[in-house]
Parts: sequence; structure tokens; C-alpha cells
Amino acid sequence: MKTTGTRSLILWILGLCFFVGLGYFVYGMVTNGGTWAMQPFNKHLTSGSQLSNGGKILDRNNAILAKSENGKRVYNSDETVRRAMLHAVGDTKGYISTGIQYNYRSELSGYNLITGLATPTGKSGGSDIKLTLDSSLSKLALEKLGSRSGAAAVYNYKTGEMLCMVSSPNFDPQNPPQDLDTDKSGKYSGVYLNRVLSSSYTPGSIFKLVTSAAAIENIPNLDSRTWDCKGSILINGNKITDVSSYGKLSFKNALAKSSNVAFAQIAVELGNDKMNAIANEMGFNKSFDLDGIPTSKSVYNVTGAQPNELGWSGVGQYTDLTNPYHMLLIMGAIANEGTPVKPYMISSITSPFGLTTKSGHTQEGSRLLKASTANKLKEYMRYNVSSYYGDKMFPGLSVCAKTGTAEVGQGKKPNGWMVGFSSDRNTPLAFAVVVENANTGMTSAGQIASALMTAAAKIK
Amino acid sequence: MTLNIPGIQNLLDMILFAFRVIVPFVFLIIVWRCFASLKRGRRREDPVVILEDMVTHETIPVLYWENSIGRSKSCDIVLNDPTASRDHAVLMRRESGWIITDTGSKSGTFVSGTKIKGPYQVMPGDVMAMGSTALMLKRANNTPKKKKWIQRRAASPFGLLTSVTFIQIFLVVQACFAADKFSPMPLIPFGVLQVLEWGLYFYSIKGLGRVSFELETMAFLLSGTGILLIAGTDVKSTFTQLGALAGGIILFCVMIQFLSDLDRVMRWRLAIAVFAILLFAANLLLARTHNGARNWIKLGSFSVQPSEFIKIAFIFVGASTLDRLQTARNLTGFIGFSAVCMGALFLMRDFGTACIFFVTFLIIAFMRSGSLRTIALICSVAAFGAFLILKFKPYVADRINAWGHVWEHVNDSGGYQQTRVLSYAASGGLFGVGIGKGCLKNVFASTTDLVFGMVCEELGLALALLIVLTIALLMFYARSDATRSRSTFYSISACAASGMLLFQTCLNVFGATDVLPLTGVTLPLISLGGSSMMAVWGLLAFIKASDERTYAARRKS
Repeated sequence: MKTTGTRSLILWILGLCFFVGLGYFVYGMVTNGGTWAMQPFNKHLTSGSQLSNGGKILDRNNAILAKSENGKRVYNSDETVRRAMLHAVGDTKGYISTGIQYNYRSELSGYNLITGLATPTGKSGGSDIKLTLDSSLSKLALEKLGSRSGAAAVYNYKTGEMLCMVSSPNFDPQNPPQDLDTDKSGKYSGVYLNRVLSSSYTPGSIFKLVTSAAAIENIPNLDSRTWDCKGSILINGNKITDVSSYGKLSFKNALAKSSNVAFAQIAVELGNDKMNAIANEMGFNKSFDLDGIPTSKSVYNVTGAQPNELGWSGVGQYTDLTNPYHMLLIMGAIANEGTPVKPYMISSITSPFGLTTKSGHTQEGSRLLKASTANKLKEYMRYNVSSYYGDKMFPGLSVCAKTGTAEVGQGKKPNGWMVGFSSDRNTPLAFAVVVENANTGMTSAGQIASALMTAAAKIK
Repeated sequence: MTLNIPGIQNLLDMILFAFRVIVPFVFLIIVWRCFASLKRGRRREDPVVILEDMVTHETIPVLYWENSIGRSKSCDIVLNDPTASRDHAVLMRRESGWIITDTGSKSGTFVSGTKIKGPYQVMPGDVMAMGSTALMLKRANNTPKKKKWIQRRAASPFGLLTSVTFIQIFLVVQACFAADKFSPMPLIPFGVLQVLEWGLYFYSIKGLGRVSFELETMAFLLSGTGILLIAGTDVKSTFTQLGALAGGIILFCVMIQFLSDLDRVMRWRLAIAVFAILLFAANLLLARTHNGARNWIKLGSFSVQPSEFIKIAFIFVGASTLDRLQTARNLTGFIGFSAVCMGALFLMRDFGTACIFFVTFLIIAFMRSGSLRTIALICSVAAFGAFLILKFKPYVADRINAWGHVWEHVNDSGGYQQTRVLSYAASGGLFGVGIGKGCLKNVFASTTDLVFGMVCEELGLALALLIVLTIALLMFYARSDATRSRSTFYSISACAASGMLLFQTCLNVFGATDVLPLTGVTLPLISLGGSSMMAVWGLLAFIKASDERTYAARRKS
């Protein structure tokens, strides 16, 4: 019987398989239980809407952005606020995949591993989520955007708090239009997309900041050199033009006047490798995240590009693409000597028992620029505003900025950009604004940025 | 919300929740006490008799109820004698005393000078000669003859069963409030359950004088949980389940009685094998197709699943006493029988059960032969067979394809059931939403194939894990008892039965939760299904029989 005893050890294999399988299942339950439970077909979440019993979403001033009442999801009373906050908060059906209501549905519905979706106390176990966003600032941004498509974002580059994140086109989540999913005219094109986080636009002249960073690091006598800008230049048989002929320009004036002729030459002089290197260092071709919600990548790649293509890439055309959130992060980096503070928009998540389960806090991101390069760029960007754009746009804020007007072709008007930050230590705010189908960056995005920064400076 | 006063409704919800928190803790204590008591109740490996070498006067302890004697190192009693055969004889302890039988040795076995043919009883003082070795059977007088396990106290059967009743009270209260409003209907299955539990208790403890009740306690704990869970959804369907439980208990008692005489069992093996094959044949001829599988026979108003009962027959045919193992070394007969069984199951398109038979076959085959080569060969044949099935039975391949990707098949047959199980299981959390308050019950096969999800949702993950752990513990107990039972027949059959139950549990639980492809087998004792319930109790009889104490009490009285 001894051998029978020994051979019975084969059952251990079965036992092992059992425990491995069970461990796999339990591991899945612990890590993905929230996702498993948050399914549209789950009847514990009842009738159609996933959040019929969810917690509240509040803005930084405790204005209610979304709450559940009698088994229905109810949003802010002001339609403009509802539309302005749509992409941050998310819609009821969960189609806006970057919204809080989708990404934090477990927290809002009160799912947890211990009680699941059971409600032993008879009340909804959903947590309330407080955002750092300011709904009136967002409302202002949407009012300024009007019917134009685009994106506007403002954040405090010292604390990391996002103050404004608005994307257009949008819709009213309280009364979604009937033709939202059936419309073919294109008026809701990309309506579920948060353009701050999930879009990539041709950058145009704002990309000259990247080319400038490469120039600062690689051209030793940068400030003493000049570029002859006669309105256009032929590179490799391809003509690169400016709005007008500027004559001889120093580097900082070339940036301030945004001379394509000068910057195309600089990009060609630096070469493909150095341009690729600086773009990658500054976070191009890489995804970031806002409170765990991933963003689209900015794109820059001139491997194998011809000199004329390289020239165009240096002024933000060619295949260049930037994501507004990424540009905001670069502004934070320039303002903070090369290392940005990571933006966040969730101020706190509070369970029904008053326990704060998550709170947003200041956190450094990874370095995007050398400190010396960042400081130099800051100096040039300040010069842009003080000598060209005019400090009147941002009274008392000592703003450093860059505009851009990106040609998109296909018979469309250019995208207008403005990115920048206040260098005043009392108003550590950075912004990125883009308006589609605009005339110039200054007249479109510039106006919005001006209004937003003035209003944001008053937020405590 | 039928109660008009919200305060009372809330209070009730909280009380029910508290009950659901208490249940798994009590459950754990009961299961652990049962398991510990089973382990404690195993026979001590003290020799009852010893053998004295007549030449060297060296004593050899006889440790087991069945001992192989021979030159081979793997024998229980190793003869250092080149003239003895590798496996010379088997010395067995039976009700009547000690018996020696020659297992085809070259030179034969002699007792007191006479060459023996067949089993031969030896008395203390008799000398057995094998090759040039002579051994005298002697009582081991250094150890007291008293049965040790009585001194090492077993857990009180009364206390265990009282705790089970206690848990079932908590569960039936949940079931009564399943629809928020009090309904007395679940009290009927609860009452019947108590009658069956305490009936078996009095029959076995007072009537038969057995001392152990751990295995029955664990089985009642699981059966009761399953029945009361279903009582929250549909009280009527628990009636057939309770009938099957009663039938299962009778089968359990009859089988233990039948298993007590191993000679009788060995004589009946061929008849059982023939009966099993006839049952399969009847099944194939008479069955109606039900959910893709032809594994049901209709008898009057009852549907019976013969393959469940053939599981018991399969173990009967596979297990064997040591003397027969030593004389009939090859597995040909058993392989043939297994092939017929599995062939029939494939024709019935019941692939889940075929897998269970196959794993049980592997366990028995390995425990009998110990030959990894044979097992590897069999496995490769099986793999080839599985390949052919996937090739020619596309609907099986479909299930395999959806495996691991169920979230891509949320609304088609590939992943509909599994995604519901995962979602609702997660909704239940650790302590569930309450009996009858789940939503998985509306999904097809929720009380059978998907019952694990239903337990998770309504009673919580904690209890669901404890239920499957209980089944795993049965297997670990059966394994640890393998050298301490009264015969290799009991050892092999207990290991095979418990391994079969655990593997079936794996298929059910992992199939429903997308760890493995969904095969549609029942969760032992929990799933709704009369044939399954009865057959599992039958399988438990094998484990009960391997407990040395089971037959000791009878002799005492």
C-alpha cells in the first residue's frame, strides 16, 4: 500500500491546477471586479443608465455637475455649464470614454470588493467626486469658443490643478439631441471626443518652441546670429514663405515675428537627428495621462525626410501633430525649469461614510527640458508678449506665450493656436487653446486665452 | 419595497446582510473542524502485527491493511532474498483475520510447510516461507491493542450537525425574505432538509453506532446551501432536489454496506461493468436531445441522466484490491471499459462529462500502474482525439474560440453566459446581495452550469470560495488517507471519487468564469439536478468507506 500512497500524490497536480485556476479567478475579481460589474446589461445598475444610483460630481466650488435623483442622472442647471463640462464629466451612456463618469464608474456606483453592488444600509454606496475644474471658467471658455470647434485648457503649473478643460463640439447631456447618433451633416463630428485629451492638431508656429529648444542647445552663438528673411526661401527646390519680408532678424525677433524662413533654415541646419531627439525629449510620440485617463500622442518624426520637409517640420507643418494636453504640459515644463507638475482634475473622492478614498495632490512629472533651455525659452516667450502680442492682452500677468496658425489644407481655414503661461509667481497658470477653422492664432485662440487667463487669475 | 415603513425595511436589509456575513465564518469553522477531525481520525501507522525472520530474528513491522511482500524495493515488506520473486505475495488484514495470498511468484508461498493456493488464513505463530526466507506472524505486543482514535476524540457529530442547522436557519431566513415580503414557502425545503439530516444522524450514530459524521456533515452543508439558494428563486424545483437528496442518502448507506465486503465487490465488478455499458447503450437508444447533449432518459415524469450513475460504476470497475493489482498488472480491461464509456459520451455529445471520465481514468490508471509512460501514451491519444473533435465538431471549437475573449462576445452565445456570471459575481461582493435578490437567476442554466456565479452573487464570494474549498479538502483528505484505509480498493476509489468531484468542480467553476472553456457540468451538491445529487452522494460513499472507522463501529457492536 506504500506505493499506492506514493502514487496518490498525483492528486496534488489536480489540487495545484485547482488553486491556480481559483487564484486566477480571484485575482481577476480583485483587479477587474469593478469593470466586470459595470456592464450595461447589469440589472443591479438598473434601467438603461449606468449611474441611476451614482454619487455626485462637484466642481472646485462645490457646484453640482452631476448627481442621481430618483433613479435618473441629473446635471447642472445651467445648459452652458452642462455643455462646457460635458467632456470632463462624461455622458450618461458612457460613450465619452475619457469622462469621469466612465473612468470612475466603479467609484461613482459604489462598487467595492467587500459589498459589491449590494446596499446593506439601503442607501447608494456611491462615492462623490470633487473636481479641481472651475465650471464658471469652463463656461466662459465655451462662450468664447462659440460655435467653433476647438479646445481650451488651463492649469495651475505649481499645484497641478486643472482649472478649465473644454472641448467643442459638444451637446447637452441632460437632453441629448435626437439626431446625435444619426446626423450625417457632420455637425456632431467627433462630439464624443475630448479634444483636449484625445485630439492631435497640426501645431503650426507653436512648434517653433521645439525648434527653438533644439537651437538653444545646439547653436552656440545663437543670440549673436542673424537670419536674412526676404519673404521666402527655396530649400531643395521647394519654396517656404513668410507673411511678409522681415529683413535681417536676430533669433528672438525671428521667434517673435514667427519667421518661417528663419526657422526652416534653423531646422535644416540642426538636421533630422537633432530635431527628432529634441522632440522625443519633449514628449512627442508618447502618451501621457490625466488621472489615469490616457491622452493621444503628439507626433514628430523626420527620419528620412528631405531638407525641404525638414524645413517645414521645423515650423510645425509637414507631418507634425500636437495634442493640446501635451502642449499644456510643455508650458508647465518651461515655467518650472524643465520639469512640469503633473496636471490632475480629481480633487477628492469621498465615500458615503465620509471617508476620502482618493485625493489629488501635486506631483512632479518627468523632465521634458533641460533647466537652462527652459529658462532661455521662457525669456524668448516673454519677449514675444512684451514686444509683439502686447501685455494688454494679459494685464499684470507677465505672460510668456507663442501663437500659431497651422495650415491644414483640404480647403479648410487654418487652426489657430495660442499656448503660454503667466510667469508671475502669484498667478502660476498655464494655458493651451486651439480653434479650428480660424483666421490666425492671435485673433481666435488669442482672444480666448486672454479672457481665460484674466478670469483664472482671480480664482483662489 | 412592499414594507411601507422604510426604517424597518432598512433594518431588515441590515440584519439579512449581517446573516450573510456570519454564514461564511460559521461555514469555515464547521468545514475546518470536520477536516481536522477526519485527519485526526485516520488510523495511526502503528503495526498491529509483526513478522519475525526465522533466521536472523529480525522483526519487520506490518504497517498496512494490505502489504505486498517481495524482493522489489517498492514492496511494503522487502525481502532481501534473491530467490524470492519481485512481487511475491500479499498479506492482507480482513474481518476474519490475516490472509496471505501468492501473487504469481516463481517459487510459491508456503504456510507452515504447505504450498498455498489462493487466499490462506494465517494465525499468529504461523510461519510463511517465500523463497529462502521464512517469516513468523506475531502480535505486536509493544503497542496497546486499544483503538487509538477513540482516545483522540473526534469532533462531536451532534455539535457539527447542530451548527449546520444553525447555518441553514440563517439561509432560510434569507430565502423567506427573497421578495422583500415574508414568504413561508422556503420553510418546507428547510424542514425536509432537517428531517433528512437528523434522520441520517440518528440512523448512523445511534443505529449503526458509528463514531464519525464529518463527511456527512460536509455533504449536508453543501447540499443544504444549494437547496436553500434555489429555494429563494423557485421553491417547487427544490422538491425534486430534496427527493434526490433522500435517494442519494439511501444510495450512500447501501453502498457503504455493499463496500464492506471486498470479496463481494470484486465478484460483482464484471457485472457492474456490463451494467454500465448497457446503461450507456440504453441511453443512446432512448435519449432525447437536450441542449445539444443526448444525455437524458425520460422515466415517467422524471428525467434521469445515466452518465451520472455510470461515474460510480466507473470507479467500481477501476479500483482494485492489492492482491488483484499484483496479479493482473496490465490495464487492458480497464482501458477498454474506459474507451467504451468515453466513446458513448462522445456520441451523446457530452464532452464535459467525457473530460471528467478521462481525468478519473488517469487517476485510477496511475494509481494502479504507476507507469508514467502508459499515462503519457494515453494522454497523447486523447490529445489527438480532442484535435479531431475540434476539427469535426465546429460548435465545440466555437466555445474554445470564445474562451479568454468572452468580453468580445457579450451578446452572442460565445460569451453571453460567462460575462453575466462575471458581472453578477462581482456585483455580489464578498457577502452577496441576498438569496433570491440576484439577477443571474434569469439567465439560462443559472441553477446548474452557472450556479457558482449565482452563489457569488446572492451569497457572496466568501461562501462560494469556501464551498469549492470544501470539495478540495475532501480530495486532500482522501489522498492523505490512501495508506491508512482497509484496502487499496478503498484508497484508489476514494482518491478517484474525490479527484472526480474536484475536477468536476474545476470544470464548472472555471467554465462559468472563463478560466476554462464552458463545458456545462454541474457543481457537485450545489447545482440543481437530481441525478447529479444522487450520484455525488454515491461517490461520497467511496470516501466514507476509506475511513477506517466506518466499519470498525459495526464490529464493535
